[in-house]
Amino acid sequence: MSVSTNKLPSDAAAHKPRTLRGQSAVWQARLIMLVMINIAQLWILAATVDAALARRYSTLLPLVIASGICFLITLSIIRWWRPTSKRFTSTGYIRDNNRG
Amino acid sequence: MSSKLDEAIKAVLSDERDVRAPTEPYQKDFPYDRGDEAQVTRREFCNFLGLTSAALFVGAAGFAGKAVIDSRESPTFQPAQIAGADGMAPNTALSFHYPTAKDSAILIRTVDGSYHAYAQQCTHLSCPVYYAREHQRLECPCHEGAFDAATGNVLYGPPPRPLYVIELEVRGGQVWAKGRKPGNTT
Repeated sequence: MSVSTNKLPSDAAAHKPRTLRGQSAVWQARLIMLVMINIAQLWILAATVDAALARRYSTLLPLVIASGICFLITLSIIRWWRPTSKRFTSTGYIRDNNRG
Repeated sequence: MSSKLDEAIKAVLSDERDVRAPTEPYQKDFPYDRGDEAQVTRREFCNFLGLTSAALFVGAAGFAGKAVIDSRESPTFQPAQIAGADGMAPNTALSFHYPTAKDSAILIRTVDGSYHAYAQQCTHLSCPVYYAREHQRLECPCHEGAFDAATGNVLYGPPPRPLYVIELEVRGGQVWAKGRKPGNTT
């Protein structure tokens, strides 16, 4: 059995689990953040319904804006905040391995 | 008895793949593993949370928008006779609708014989208020708020403002509703 990489097999074995652990941690963090934002948005929706029924119109716009900001944060987490890989950066660009 | 129950539980909890073993030719050609289908990946769950976030935002915006649009509608107040008001005994109440069929209101004849009418929506969360004869006041059953029957002012509880007052006029024994205005906060 031959290994066709420059690194020693022992190096690869040492790095791989560490990378996977890191990716898994990022995925868990993404999930936790998304769930927390969803809970906050649920609270905002309940407050919006309360304000509408009580005719407190001045508080409606700030609540809708807050919900919109939560949605934008959710979008940014789903779209851009990703675990890094050997090929892609966290923002989706192809990694330049010859750099530096 | 208990052994039969245990067997029944085991039968129910047993692996369903035995039950769903492919028997038809098409099932062999397209094998379907129910367990694998039930798995949700982290990516799918993240996307689901994103959709939930979008739905919550749309819900909040829609609810707020509808409330603002409703608030800008100014109904016209045409005088309307309140049917059945002339025969009311003191310390009783009558439900009616004013100024439109969607706006429920309550007419009260107090112990002294005078008439008072209010919009039936509580100013806290729009629950319908009712007249409590034993206490001679309007009460909200949702969060235990109470309003004065003669003025519509808040007696206690979470309501922040008095009830909307419906202006009345008695013409020849008939009670007429003439208009609606916010309650007196002083």
